Amino acid sequence: MKRYDCLKAIAPRFGEELVVTNIGAVRHEWQALRPHPANYHLQNLGLTSSMALGLALALPHRKVVAFDGDGSLLLNLGSLATIANQHPRNLVHIVFDNECYESSRGAPTATAGQADLAAITRGAGFANVMTVKTLAEFEEGFLRALKSNDLYFILAKVEAGAGDVPAAALDSQENKYLFVRYIEKSENLKILTATLSRASEPRAK
Amino acid sequence: MKREVAAEIVDSLKEAGVDFVASLTEANLHDLVVALGEDPAIHHVPVTREEEGIGICAGAYLGGKKPAMVMMNAGFLLSANAVATVCIHPGIPVLMLIGHSGGVGEENAGHATVGALTEPVLQAMHIVYEKVGRFEDIRPTIRDSQMLARSSRRPTAIVLNKQALR
Repeated sequence: MKRYDCLKAIAPRFGEELVVTNIGAVRHEWQALRPHPANYHLQNLGLTSSMALGLALALPHRKVVAFDGDGSLLLNLGSLATIANQHPRNLVHIVFDNECYESSRGAPTATAGQADLAAITRGAGFANVMTVKTLAEFEEGFLRALKSNDLYFILAKVEAGAGDVPAAALDSQENKYLFVRYIEKSENLKILTATLSRASEPRAK
Repeated sequence: MKREVAAEIVDSLKEAGVDFVASLTEANLHDLVVALGEDPAIHHVPVTREEEGIGICAGAYLGGKKPAMVMMNAGFLLSANAVATVCIHPGIPVLMLIGHSGGVGEENAGHATVGALTEPVLQAMHIVYEKVGRFEDIRPTIRDSQMLARSSRRPTAIVLNKQALR
């Protein structure tokens, strides 16, 4: 099972769900499969789960899906304890575990050795934890998480290797503005402050 | 930190529009963290590591919250990469309240090195910051630092020295 095939299988199921992607190939794969302003592509290794938590807490009525990686989550294991304690019912945390630092030429991560991220996540306090090894299991698990009203963690054991997709031509600032404007519009919120126009001030007499 | 100082900080944060705070406690921040946890107008997220809090605050901003991060200076130094990649790079404002260990009046020898590094790192990261030591400066500094964070779409910092914390 490859990550790109997993993403391809679930992409048609997405409507207005908010997505946070880890740095690396997954952002390009997801942007190719589901180009949408509700995708936020992180330029940081480690904080995917934390960004997704902040978003899920801010908008508890919106489903938030995080596409994380093993190397990333291993940098931020404490976030699992924080997420479990906050218990956002609208968050689906998916980790594509290829047991290596794929975008950094493939050296093994700790999950190639003894570490089991699903067991760690259970220990952190998550109730709904799945380990999936086939595409059918992944799709079924994802749909269950998507339809539920509870926090889910899905560990997808995948082979290394990226999908044959073009690089996503999306600058980080552009991505932020598109995402925030989309949230402002879909949630009827004002997030970006506007500079006051001097012309609107009454002239001093 | 005296309880009235903690109450003044929480009230000033709310007046400045802050409605979401991530924190990692320390002896000097204890009363503030307790007060944040008790205030129903603020969603308080205690974290396990400070850079995690920066990520949570950035995500909350994208969802329409007005976030702040409460931590000690050791935690700020730990968060430098997170602040750079998650806040400064895309342009996401997070107000940081940083307790300052290792400044003048410090009794613990172990804090002096971190204390000496805090301001140079803030300056190297081009983060606008104010130092607060007097009670009457807390409210206007929080208001103005939050204003700049929002208008500039950048993180800003308030360094709370030991006088403010006691």
